[in-house]
Amino acid sequence: MQGWLSILIMIALGAGFALISVVLSSFLGPRKPTPEKLAPYECGMPPVGDARERQSVKFYLVAMIFLLFDIEIAFLYPWAMALRDLGWNGFAQVLLFIALLLAGYVYVWRKGALDWGGDQATARRRSTIGD
Amino acid sequence: MVPLNYYLVLSAMLFAIGTAGVFVRRNLITILLSIEIMLNAVNLTFVAFGRALGSADGQIIVFFVMTVAAAEAAVGLAIVIGLFRHRESLNPDSWTALKW
Amino acid sequence: MAPETLAFYAFGAVAVVASLLVIAQRNPIYSVLLLIASFGALSGLYVLLDAPFVAVIQIIVYAGAIMVLFLFVVMLLNAPHEETEYDERVHPLLRPGPMRFGALLALVLAGELSWALTRSGDSGRFPAGAVASVRAIGRSLFTDYAFPFEVTSILILVAMVGAVLLARREGRG
Repeated sequence: MQGWLSILIMIALGAGFALISVVLSSFLGPRKPTPEKLAPYECGMPPVGDARERQSVKFYLVAMIFLLFDIEIAFLYPWAMALRDLGWNGFAQVLLFIALLLAGYVYVWRKGALDWGGDQATARRRSTIGD
Repeated sequence: MVPLNYYLVLSAMLFAIGTAGVFVRRNLITILLSIEIMLNAVNLTFVAFGRALGSADGQIIVFFVMTVAAAEAAVGLAIVIGLFRHRESLNPDSWTALKW
Repeated sequence: MAPETLAFYAFGAVAVVASLLVIAQRNPIYSVLLLIASFGALSGLYVLLDAPFVAVIQIIVYAGAIMVLFLFVVMLLNAPHEETEYDERVHPLLRPGPMRFGALLALVLAGELSWALTRSGDSGRFPAGAVASVRAIGRSLFTDYAFPFEVTSILILVAMVGAVLLARREGRG
């Protein structure tokens, strides 16, 4: 348990530093609010619209793909640690695993879920797939 | 070390909280979160029993449960998005057309 | 009290309180953030159970990916308030019909499980040896659990295809 104690101290130090910084700055900083200062910062531009605007569904799709490949990496790590014991048999298994996931990746790519470009690129792709 | 029973009681409490969340809340996202609580309670049981039996099987099953949880979250949330587009609501009582 | 026992109670308390607050919150954003706290506490419990790899995976997969997905969906739908036909301030047990039944059922479940588990006495002591190494997990995962492992990849594939089909705006229906 000795090694975990240092991790606990690390977490406490990290959280404590963030907490102390925020609390101290709210105590020590001068506070002279004007409407401009209270406005949300938007790269120096005058704010446009509401902050609670709906996000694009693309964010969901990218997060979903990230999640599923995150799982894949979580499975690959034990394989890498036991590589010598498993030999070619384990290698073949992992190859099949990755090939199946690659099929999903190709599908997602072809469907245009990863397209962040303008509407034209998306529209062109969509017309070629015939969705 | 803390006995196995303590972990099992803690897991039972978490599972009951998850069950209560599924029944009591009328928000699809919170219901999915409650299901995640239940899955985590089960994971805790698996790891505790695996530790008690001195085998790696409990931890391996936790990986499979996590994979299922991830797939469930991905598809479940996609269904929630689709339902929300259909009818601007997150209340599960809004979709009762197939009930009768 | 031994430091490990103390850590168990601390992590357990955080997990239970955070989970309770998850189902008590009305704004799903707070629910998601509190659930991340609950998962962090569970990760600490896995460390106490000599399963450090599961603890790390818990943080990476659950707190780092699944909850981000939930957070994105909450932001995407942007419907923070639960619309219901009854008064939100009424206690769940006093609400109509199925919800009262469900809350009661959960309470009964918690009581039953705790009763059964405390009755079995102090028999569940952990043995000294623990399987903590990732190498042992990997060896078992790719020999005894080779078939479930491959099925897992098909599950992930199906989830990917299904989620893309369901979530895209251009989908039929």
